[in-house]
Amino acid sequence: MKKIFFCLALSLSFIQVYPANFPYGAVSIADLEMKSYSKDTSANAVVLQEFGNTHISSGDETPLIFEYHVRIKIFNAKGFNQGNIVIPLNKSKDNRYEEVSDIKGSTFFIDHDGMMRETKLDLKKVIREDMDKRHNLVKFAMPDLTNGCIIEYVYTLSSPFIFNFRNWYFQDDIPKVYSEYIAHIPALYNYNTVLVGATKLTKNTAELERECFNPGGGIKADCSKITYTMADIPAFVEEDYMTAASNFKSTIKYELSDYMDYRGVKHQITKEWKDVDYDLKKDPYFGSQMRKKDLFKTQLPALIAGQPDALIQAKKIYSFFQKYFKWNGFNGIYSVDGLKKAVETHSGSIADINLALISVLNEAGLNADAVLLSTRSNGLVNNLFPILSDFNYVVARVNIADKTYMLDATNPFLPFGLLPIKCINGQGRVISMSKPSYWVDLVASQKESKIYNLALELLPDGKIKGKIIEISLGYEAYNKRKAIKKFNSIEEYVENLDESMPKTKIISNKIVGLDSLDVPLSESYEVEINAFDNLNKGQFAFNPFFMDRTKENPFKLRERNYPVDLGAPSDTRISLVCTFPDGFEVTSKPEPVALALPDKGGRFTSEISIDGSQFLFQQMTLLNKSIYQPEEYPYLKELFNKMVQVQKTDIIFKKKQ
Amino acid sequence: MRLIGGILFFLLVSFDTIAQQNYAVSAIPPELMVRASAVIRNDEMSIEVKDLNDVVIRVKEAVTVLNKNGDSEARMVVWYDKTRQIKYIKAVVYDEFGLLKGKIAEKEFKDESAVSNSSLFDDTRVKRFSPAITTYPYTLEYEYEIRSKQSLSLPDWQPNTTTGVSLENAKLTLMCKPDFAIRFKEENYAGKVNVTDTEGLKTYTWEVHHLKALRDEPYSPSADTYLPAVRIAPVKFAYQSVNGSFTNWSEYGLWMNEKILLNRDIIPAETATYIKELVKDIEDPRLKAKKIYEFVQGKTRYVSVQVGIGGFQPITAAEVDRLGYGDCKGLVNYTKGLLKVVGINSYYTIVEAGPEKKSAIVDFASINQFNHIILCIPFAKDTTWVDCTSKTIPFGYLGDFTDDRIALACTETGGKLIRTPAYTSEASRQIRKASFKLDEKGNLNGEMTTTFDGLQYDNREQLIDEPFTEQVKKLQQIYTLNNLEIQSFKLEQDKGRVPVTTERMKFYAGDYASLNGQQYFITLNALNRGRSIKEVHNRVNILDISRGYTDIDEITYTIPDNYKIDGRPENFKIEQPFGQYAIDIQEKGNTLVYTRKLHLKEGIYPPEKYEDLVSFYQQVAELDESRISMIKRIVN
Repeated sequence: MKKIFFCLALSLSFIQVYPANFPYGAVSIADLEMKSYSKDTSANAVVLQEFGNTHISSGDETPLIFEYHVRIKIFNAKGFNQGNIVIPLNKSKDNRYEEVSDIKGSTFFIDHDGMMRETKLDLKKVIREDMDKRHNLVKFAMPDLTNGCIIEYVYTLSSPFIFNFRNWYFQDDIPKVYSEYIAHIPALYNYNTVLVGATKLTKNTAELERECFNPGGGIKADCSKITYTMADIPAFVEEDYMTAASNFKSTIKYELSDYMDYRGVKHQITKEWKDVDYDLKKDPYFGSQMRKKDLFKTQLPALIAGQPDALIQAKKIYSFFQKYFKWNGFNGIYSVDGLKKAVETHSGSIADINLALISVLNEAGLNADAVLLSTRSNGLVNNLFPILSDFNYVVARVNIADKTYMLDATNPFLPFGLLPIKCINGQGRVISMSKPSYWVDLVASQKESKIYNLALELLPDGKIKGKIIEISLGYEAYNKRKAIKKFNSIEEYVENLDESMPKTKIISNKIVGLDSLDVPLSESYEVEINAFDNLNKGQFAFNPFFMDRTKENPFKLRERNYPVDLGAPSDTRISLVCTFPDGFEVTSKPEPVALALPDKGGRFTSEISIDGSQFLFQQMTLLNKSIYQPEEYPYLKELFNKMVQVQKTDIIFKKKQ
Repeated sequence: MRLIGGILFFLLVSFDTIAQQNYAVSAIPPELMVRASAVIRNDEMSIEVKDLNDVVIRVKEAVTVLNKNGDSEARMVVWYDKTRQIKYIKAVVYDEFGLLKGKIAEKEFKDESAVSNSSLFDDTRVKRFSPAITTYPYTLEYEYEIRSKQSLSLPDWQPNTTTGVSLENAKLTLMCKPDFAIRFKEENYAGKVNVTDTEGLKTYTWEVHHLKALRDEPYSPSADTYLPAVRIAPVKFAYQSVNGSFTNWSEYGLWMNEKILLNRDIIPAETATYIKELVKDIEDPRLKAKKIYEFVQGKTRYVSVQVGIGGFQPITAAEVDRLGYGDCKGLVNYTKGLLKVVGINSYYTIVEAGPEKKSAIVDFASINQFNHIILCIPFAKDTTWVDCTSKTIPFGYLGDFTDDRIALACTETGGKLIRTPAYTSEASRQIRKASFKLDEKGNLNGEMTTTFDGLQYDNREQLIDEPFTEQVKKLQQIYTLNNLEIQSFKLEQDKGRVPVTTERMKFYAGDYASLNGQQYFITLNALNRGRSIKEVHNRVNILDISRGYTDIDEITYTIPDNYKIDGRPENFKIEQPFGQYAIDIQEKGNTLVYTRKLHLKEGIYPPEKYEDLVSFYQQVAELDESRISMIKRIVN
């Protein structure tokens, strides 16, 4: 909106009525004297009241204006971090940036003489920091914090970025007594709104505000004034094995769907998927990049020359990409500086590398699409509306002989067809150049599997000699490869392994498949274990569960509020054959166990059989699901409980009489 | 307890062009490839002191990265602020054969704030770049020039600082006018400095060659004790608006008093009156000081502000009084001011904080040996030390952050080196008494009391003032009993002369005993298990146990009346020069008292003793797995 319309705008403007913000500084003695928060006596601090108000202003460039006001009671020093405030601000490449103004802050407390005192925030102590290319920070520390004090501050943030309006975070790490948010959305703008989280709104009303938006040019628009209120919001408590906290914290999120400009032209922003598909295909940093030809003009023909098998072609291209590119650490679904640049510099973002992969796979005549997804730490995507800003990652999906493979070439250790665990998160959207887009479940294509095979011999001198073979597949192989590559050489890895088991000497080793990502990783070690000083005592105990033993139950909570999300199913099998010296017999051994989770969720079995002077031990642990719901949690916990129990028992050997 | 921050960024790098450098990997001597993920081919730093407020530092370093693990050696990070400008920075990449592959211009470096921690306000910035190269090996050669407006803090030179990196050549040059006097300290440096004096320019040169890659060895002494380094300090210097000179610690302390601290500890009248009133009925000066320290703990919090001269100079006491926050310098200076109000003298004391005990170098005074400030209060009988950045630690308690090391106290008569108190292993105790009652189903009802003192005093710090649900979560990490359910939990801290934390806990653990056939197996020590440590084949470093501890656990087991104990381990004792371990079991009817003592003693031992430490801990780990078994009595 240009300034020339300003006079006109002025003449037409009228008073905007702003709603029920609570009065600044009206701190009650009762609140100051409060010793703990009755609804959560363990809280170190509680938000007494919080108010936010966002509107799109009629001023120059129609920035979004967000006013924030909060009053926080701090009970003890552990709550003092509430007094260090950091407001992150976005800025864009084209030098548009968010700004904070009208900061005001006070600390209220009762002094030595029992008088209520107020210390005001010194505005000279507000720090503005140019953090990096995309962010500024405004920081300030509230003065004079004491146990029991109340802090209160307000600020106004103005933003040129209206796409996400202003999200409101109802739930936080400390509880809140009352939180209210008012959004004034001009009828010219259409936002998709989503409420995340389990806590219910206590109030949600909408009113019409007449002609509240007058950006000039004769434009006048009514607004919807929407009020959201939540009371008694509990603190958010994170649990182990859960995906992003943002999936569960109560929040209101927006994404601009469409708006009308001052000429009355409607701009569709977030649309139906068919429109999104169309835009993405045309987008210079997405579709146009995906369609780029000749990225590897010289290398590609050589890679697939004389290779008729499509799967082998795809694997060759994939592994070429893994070696060629280094991921620069940036996520996102759009190419950053274009694929040409990425190819030149051997480095790029997730989108740069994987869009390039799609382009090259298609060029080779393989049928590859893009899959947009959100990583586990980024939260789940909303699948009611096409909210593109929910997505932060893109991978390739290729169809070969009726099979589909998901590919992420940004990681050098992932085998063909395996996505990193961070990508296994709900659903992804397949964007094809030729078909409408569609949802696809993001599930682990392989398990986290390991197989141990041990052939040991207990010698009369108390030593154990033999061979240990460990085979890792799927995610386990991926983890193992990463661990081995942390060392400069296999020798250094084995040396470290040897050193970390003081009683075990590794006599020789053989590691196969370290660099061939598509085959299992197999490690075999010839070992000598100083198990017993001697066997003269006539009786000794041996614990057969020494490989991969579950010493403690990883699930400790009595019950859970959120699902246990392990990422991928797992499968661990141990088979141990051990001969023992002639004159001994087994007098006691762990009993056979077979436990199962309901609904085929998992199994644990363990059995030991004796055959002359040899025993055979077999154990299997299967967790068939990636996600266990809170209802399934007690069973899962109990399964591990029994495992820990069983694995405590020994085989007892006695000298024959 | 936090660090000073600011000026403490390391920089190791330099200048001087050697023509026709050969960066081919084949030119690296084979012994430098052993255990190396990167090789520093050439590392040159030149410091040119043009004037007291005009110092040019040029750095040129070439590093060959052999594999992915060495990538971090090719990461370039250079800090700057208002007093320290980067004149240029650039880099060149070579391939395995030493052929030029590409250039990195200054604009490709990221320019960011050096801090992202929310409680740190700092105007230091960094330029950084991490090359994206996936074909190994490669060589990165980078150079930069810095113009610094101060000559007080000249960079220390320690060309090889990390494990897994070897070094071919490194050189340090200092150029100055003949009248710019310096002092320097060579550490683990075999050669001798080369000094030339030509055309009014004095040049000092140090060089090191062929340092093999080092390995990570646990229980090693500080790397400063064996890595070559050169430290340089000016005799006369300028620092922002302050000029000065010192040649020893005493003069350093005087300079601090006169130029940096003078009149900064004046307390506003209102607060002074309040403080006098607060302690007027207390006779003992130590108790007065304690009261004032607790007042500071209640009133202030740690917020670090490093702007401008902030790296060395505290904000005024009046400002801390008004704001209620400050960094270590500001808070110590404020406390010192408050003590002065009631006539108690104390010293602003400069120290290198951190778990590694790093002392001031006795015979070499320089400004960049420290990162923290504490307060030393010299009472007639016992000197007391306090850290003012924590709101909870007891008066006079330092913990392992600043214990047992030489610090510099700025006294009225000048700087004095004083050793901070050490906590011996005998005085760092965790003593537990527990009563465990087992029922016929193998479930356990337990009750126990544990006290912690000395270095172990703050073992439970993370649990203090936490909500019960959080405490339970953390306790389940500390005590890994299966099915542990905490019924009650209480922590008390006695912040007296010998601070003691007391933990009282009642709990239930279902299926504690594991049933096998008719027999129940009961793990005797479920509370405090030793863990084996890694072996190190061909260890080089001496064994340095910098801190020890004493743990005593006494658990009384009561088993159901109709059961009897039918299997138990023998009593056992291990004695080593560095520690003792003993388990003792006494049976009496249906009760059994298990006592475990573990004492690790601080000290320095020859490298080969490390093997004994490994087997000591291995034995401890095994014996800590000991179990008894119980079986139903047969009633006739």
